[in-house]
Amino acid sequence: MIKVNGEKHSWYQGMTIKDLLNNFNKSHLYAVVRINDKHISMPYFEKTLIPDNSEVFLIPMIAGG
Amino acid sequence: MKEYKMEPLNTFNYDRPVIEKGYANQTLCIDISDFVISVKPVTEKMKNVFIGGKGFDLWLLWNAVNNTTKWNDPENAICIASGPMGGTPVYPGSGKSIVTTISPLTGSVIDSNVGGYFGPYLKFSGFDALEVTGKSLKDVVIFIDGIDEKVQIFKASGLPDDSYTLSATLTEHFAKGKPRNISVVSTGPGAKNTRMGCLNFTWYDLKRKRARYKQAGRGGIGGVFADKGIKAIVARWNTVTTKTNNPADANTLKDVGRKHSREVVELDPKQNQMAQIGTTHLVPIMNDFDLLPTHNFQYGQHSEADNIGQEVFRRIFDPGYDGCWMGCTLACSHGVKDFVPLTGPYKGLKVFVDGPEYETIAGCGSNLGIFDPHTIIEMNFYCDTYGLDTISVGTSTAFAMECFEMGLINESHTHGMNLLFGNRSAALEVVHQMARGEGFGQIIGRGVRQMKVIFSRDYGADPDLMQDIGMEAKGLEFSEYMTKESLAQQGGYGLALKGPQHDEAWLIFLDMVHNFMPTFEKKAEALHWFPMFRTWFGLCGLCKLPWNDVVPEDNKDTLEPAKVMKHVEWYADYYTAVTGRQTTADGLIRMSEAVYNFQRIFNLKMGFGQREHDNIPYRAVGPVKTVEYESRTERYDKQLVEKHNVDITGKTTEEKIVLLREFREKLYEKLKDAVYKRRGWTNNGIPTKETVKRLGIDFPEVLELLRAHGVET
Ligand code: SF4
Repeated sequence: MIKVNGEKHSWYQGMTIKDLLNNFNKSHLYAVVRINDKHISMPYFEKTLIPDNSEVFLIPMIAGG
Repeated sequence: MKEYKMEPLNTFNYDRPVIEKGYANQTLCIDISDFVISVKPVTEKMKNVFIGGKGFDLWLLWNAVNNTTKWNDPENAICIASGPMGGTPVYPGSGKSIVTTISPLTGSVIDSNVGGYFGPYLKFSGFDALEVTGKSLKDVVIFIDGIDEKVQIFKASGLPDDSYTLSATLTEHFAKGKPRNISVVSTGPGAKNTRMGCLNFTWYDLKRKRARYKQAGRGGIGGVFADKGIKAIVARWNTVTTKTNNPADANTLKDVGRKHSREVVELDPKQNQMAQIGTTHLVPIMNDFDLLPTHNFQYGQHSEADNIGQEVFRRIFDPGYDGCWMGCTLACSHGVKDFVPLTGPYKGLKVFVDGPEYETIAGCGSNLGIFDPHTIIEMNFYCDTYGLDTISVGTSTAFAMECFEMGLINESHTHGMNLLFGNRSAALEVVHQMARGEGFGQIIGRGVRQMKVIFSRDYGADPDLMQDIGMEAKGLEFSEYMTKESLAQQGGYGLALKGPQHDEAWLIFLDMVHNFMPTFEKKAEALHWFPMFRTWFGLCGLCKLPWNDVVPEDNKDTLEPAKVMKHVEWYADYYTAVTGRQTTADGLIRMSEAVYNFQRIFNLKMGFGQREHDNIPYRAVGPVKTVEYESRTERYDKQLVEKHNVDITGKTTEEKIVLLREFREKLYEKLKDAVYKRRGWTNNGIPTKETVKRLGIDFPEVLELLRAHGVET
């Protein structure tokens, strides 16, 4: 089990960020995701595994300086 | 500490006006040539057209200077203003000041947005804006005491030279036991000896019991301040509440302020965590997207970038509340406690460092090939205390390093300094030399534009190559984002009024990652709306970060997620609640348009503000050198083939660079056409008669300027 934006979410072994985002609509708007305190960016979504019990945050928009 | 003396030269007693709906309705003018202090009324017309903040500054500056005024002429004014909402403690990010002057780097108007308590304290003391002209032969301190209703000019001697100790000394001197009542504006020795001096604006940190500071960094404003003989300007004010601004509708203000505050408190921990790590999260993100400048903007990525990213600074920052204005729940202005510099006058001593933020990390770190947080923090500390802009210092040093690596300059020019990328002690030594006005640091301190002239004239370096790799436009050094793959951001920098600073438009992600603006018209629309909305913050005394660095959870389901319209509408309500003037989201854009176009025309008055002045160096557009092209061959080859239908078989890298350049430079010119059209400007980038009339800035002097530049009136 993981938490996504504070809500419980099912988890399975080998789940990547890309897999997780497939469950959300307009997921192309997420260019960055935070797993616990680590930011992961879109180019790494496909190969980044989400560990069990993670807190995942979908960062809505990067607004820059 | 050395003994210091402050002798009053003039005292001006006044009756403090009641603040009405966010305005004091007068401005303070000080001519320090003969220590004359006076007050000017704020007219309804000023409020209608210029709103406040940067708008008031520009109007005061426009009337102070003529078209031949240089940065160091006595009539050049330093103008500082907050805005009608400035000083509201209930709404996040409501304590900003805007500073404007004629810049030593660009020769035209520069504006810089800064936190700290000064702007609100100035207003509550009775003045919507401060205008300082003249030059003093003696060092002076200006004291604006809103509690005792007097403005004083002191002749100062023996005060510390650097901003770090000077701010602390003056805070204690004027505090009468209440240091939170004081805000100090000062600079340091670097501002005297370079063209890239900044101003430090203090806010008092009650928990850490020290004066902290934020910087009005860009364009060498600190140099104008120092040249005028001003040691510091100090404001003193009392307790601040929501009522201090005497808002038109206090209940609505509290309501909308609480909504935005609550949202920040609830969502920032889930989103960017700026209350914990400031803007340092941008370092790894920019690196991942090939946007973090390294080695003078040659590349956008480096394997060691994580060493200077948020994971490191999360551990280094001193935990605690870091709001640069009271009640800001985003509170992103972090610092490093008990830092011990390895060089310079504070070597071996424990100091508190305000920062670093993303720009400093990229400018004084990755762009110099430095991936060591200690060096970056030390450069941050010395730039601030010497009164130097970390962005211009970083970008200028990066240019000098690349010239050194390419053999355009050598050790005989750098006084024996080895300026290879990654040389940490050399980078620090450059900063110390800038402060002392010595050695090669003094040359770098003149900025990229001047270095190009000196290196070519005195050292025989290739001017065309330096034009391509010297990251300045309009005379101002680029801030720290890569733009090669985002045409919209090339426009965001190149078409910015003051020069390439990202505060007008930061469109890289929207353009490059989300592809929100695939056509020229869409890019032009973005390069209209975003600069206008961002300008509006500077008119009102606000910080832009709470607008779009925290985003409502349902934002992605809105029609235009990039604009974060829910917050824009809150800002419209906020404006109406304070000023009593009804407005809407569109109304905010219209307010900015008048000031924005006026600033463009101000550039025209100073001899700039036309199409040719919106050019940018090719390094900002595409790969200049073969190593740059070859580091991303696949990307560039693909673009030549698929986007530009070029048969690249058998072509050398050099030939492909020439072809790509032709295409990309044409696109940039096409972008200019589209943006000028959208903004209501001529093809030469000058606002038309219809535009100035529509915006109510068709003053006789404006129309005369337009006529003189061939615009039909
Ligand atoms: S968000 Fe940061 S910079 Fe903006 S007002 Fe708050 S503390 Fe200052």
